[in-house]
Amino acid sequence: MTGNQLMFAIFGMLIIIFSILTVTSRRILRSAVFLLFVLVSTAGLYFMLNYQFLAAVQLTVYAGGIVVLIIFSILLTSHISEKFEVVGMKKQIFSGLAAIAGIILTISTILQTEFKATEVAAKEVDMEAIGLSLLNYGENGFVLPFEVISILLLAAMIAAIVIAKKGKTQKP
Amino acid sequence: MRLEDFLLMRHELLLTLIAIIILIAEIFTDDFKKQGIRPLSIILMAIVTIVGFLPAPTGTLFGGMYQATDMRLMMKNILNIGALIVFIQSASWLKSDDNQNKVSEFFLLLISTLIGMNFMISSGDFLMFYLGLELATIPIAALAAYDRYSNKSSEAGIKLILISALSSGILLYGISMIYGTVGSVYFDKVSVAYGATPLQIMSFIFFFTGMAFKISIVPFHLWTADVYEGAPVNVTSYLSVVSKGAAVFIFSIMLVTVFQNIAAMWKDVMWITAAITMTLGNLFAMRQNNLKRFLAFSSISQAGFIMLGIIGGSELGMAAVVYYILVYIFSNLGAFGVIAAISNASGGKENMSDYDGLYKTNPALSLTLTLALFSLAGIPPVAGFFGKFFLFTAVAEKGYWWLLTIAVLNTIISLYYYLLPVKAMFINKAETSIAYFKSDGWTKVGLIICVAGMVIVGFASVIFEYIRTLSFGL
Amino acid sequence: MDSQNKFMPQDYIPIMIQSFIVLGFVLTTMIMTHLLGPLRKSKAKLENFECGIEGMGNARSPFSVKYFLIAILFVLFDVEVIFMYPWAVNFRDLGANGFLDMLLFLGLLLLGFIYIVFKGALKWDNS
Repeated sequence: MTGNQLMFAIFGMLIIIFSILTVTSRRILRSAVFLLFVLVSTAGLYFMLNYQFLAAVQLTVYAGGIVVLIIFSILLTSHISEKFEVVGMKKQIFSGLAAIAGIILTISTILQTEFKATEVAAKEVDMEAIGLSLLNYGENGFVLPFEVISILLLAAMIAAIVIAKKGKTQKP
Repeated sequence: MRLEDFLLMRHELLLTLIAIIILIAEIFTDDFKKQGIRPLSIILMAIVTIVGFLPAPTGTLFGGMYQATDMRLMMKNILNIGALIVFIQSASWLKSDDNQNKVSEFFLLLISTLIGMNFMISSGDFLMFYLGLELATIPIAALAAYDRYSNKSSEAGIKLILISALSSGILLYGISMIYGTVGSVYFDKVSVAYGATPLQIMSFIFFFTGMAFKISIVPFHLWTADVYEGAPVNVTSYLSVVSKGAAVFIFSIMLVTVFQNIAAMWKDVMWITAAITMTLGNLFAMRQNNLKRFLAFSSISQAGFIMLGIIGGSELGMAAVVYYILVYIFSNLGAFGVIAAISNASGGKENMSDYDGLYKTNPALSLTLTLALFSLAGIPPVAGFFGKFFLFTAVAEKGYWWLLTIAVLNTIISLYYYLLPVKAMFINKAETSIAYFKSDGWTKVGLIICVAGMVIVGFASVIFEYIRTLSFGL
Repeated sequence: MDSQNKFMPQDYIPIMIQSFIVLGFVLTTMIMTHLLGPLRKSKAKLENFECGIEGMGNARSPFSVKYFLIAILFVLFDVEVIFMYPWAVNFRDLGANGFLDMLLFLGLLLLGFIYIVFKGALKWDNS
């Protein structure tokens, strides 16, 4: 077992364990914290792949931003100290069976496949390469998605205002 | 970028431009002048719709990431028409006190989803496809929760965003598997390299599941009725017509291009789901009393009918699908327009029993609703008949006789429940039917466009012939 | 694999050692306090404050939606800044064209920012 495999095993185990804890915990705030651990472990996987930029994005946006957002929205809703109801045995068994069947099908299919390795030598993904392809107009350039994302962000801002901002016409 | 390249992307660019104009108008005008934003948005949208029909070059941009072909431009034009009618229909609803301070947001969010749909239809790779899909769904969730003080509206918003996140996740998983086996996300490369290995078949199933959520195909339809009922009527009509139409358009293109190598497989999958979707949608629609839920289930079964055209995989099939969506826009928006007008005028009456004796008090609205329901059911004088006829021809041409039988049986069942509201309006006696009211100009214009569309699109065979020259098959 | 030799997992061994030490320290402290400390549980000992008015209700009560609005806007602009970073690194190479692309990107978001400010989403009190 090389160091790489060991690291992958550790991160994989962390992701699996904390994911299961996230969905099984009966307190919603704890679920959010477990989710934070899942996201941080995923960042670890990206570091392992030598993809520092994506890992940094994962840490700043997901672990930094999204989790805070989730915790805020949990605190916004009342009855925070309530525990979730225990799910009935029948439901537990059937959803467990469905999940396990799905996992077996997916994993066996993926294991059957031989992924072709590309002949191109592995490129190091440094910041300059990312920047150049981000604003490239040709094939494998991403200038169009980049500009569309600004529209998406703008729409998200407006949507946030529509949902969260109280109207001015709140006369008694 | 040369100047001609901008001409290729004119749908998206014009929509972005009018979004910016409306946003600037919203920022820099006072409360009194904001009254002008409604007509301004509608007029701008009308201009965009008309400009979209002008002849313009076609081609690909950004290394195949963006594709503008005649068929895709036609699809965008059809969506523009649908959005324009929704804009016109919602004008009087937006004038009410609750909505007055967020009028431009309504238009901005609808336009941004329209931009997303256009990019999605023009996409030449999975990245742009996915980005367009997200841009087309996320703002809609905010619109579903537009009615801030109604619990049902918030419920619709949260259900929509959860289900779209789930389906996007499944879709992305499928796309990641496609990338893993093929090594590219560009449609032209994927379509060549795609085979029928187990993983590729599974990736298609994941992809199909994600799309099935968006088009609300049984068994992935459970969100539809709740969201359609909770959201404001005008948002529901947009959701059921324009959003669904966009997803069907890109799906039908991708099936015959990207997934052409596994056509035999997806035809089987579609066969089964189409049969179930038509039948279950119909059976549930029969039991509904709330008209929005009723139209939700009817739109599920309509999605099953639309899939008939895709199953054939021929160019006739694609033409039938596009034509049917065009007809569906007019008929469904006609039905929703009447329901919205009555709901606004009567303080939220949306149940079928409220419509008893409506013909006596509001004959024009009753006739419009009747015509729209006839068109949805496929009764001859209106366009819906021709739409269904072409869909059935596309299936029969390829010899799917069993499927055709199921479809025809379902059409007969659907006749029954489409006539239920008609019976309520014309035959049922009511002691207190909804009083006569005068619709304002915008509502009238919107309904007139719908009725005209239902009649003209049916009789002008030029339209179908023109769409047919653009379409392509396997 | 040659080209990937620049950063090998071995480079992270110091980090791993540190995380193990941190984890070990926390665990030992927690276990040791349980073992060594005296166990006394009485009502007075579990109170938040020894004297004064008794605590009422739950500390985690629902709070204003404004926090959420600020947080979601923060995330949106956070994402925006991430896109600026790869561009800024290549500022010279991308030249005027890249600058125009970025200007378009930022222009739309700036418009959104002005919209937010005019809507008063960043104003803390409503008066």
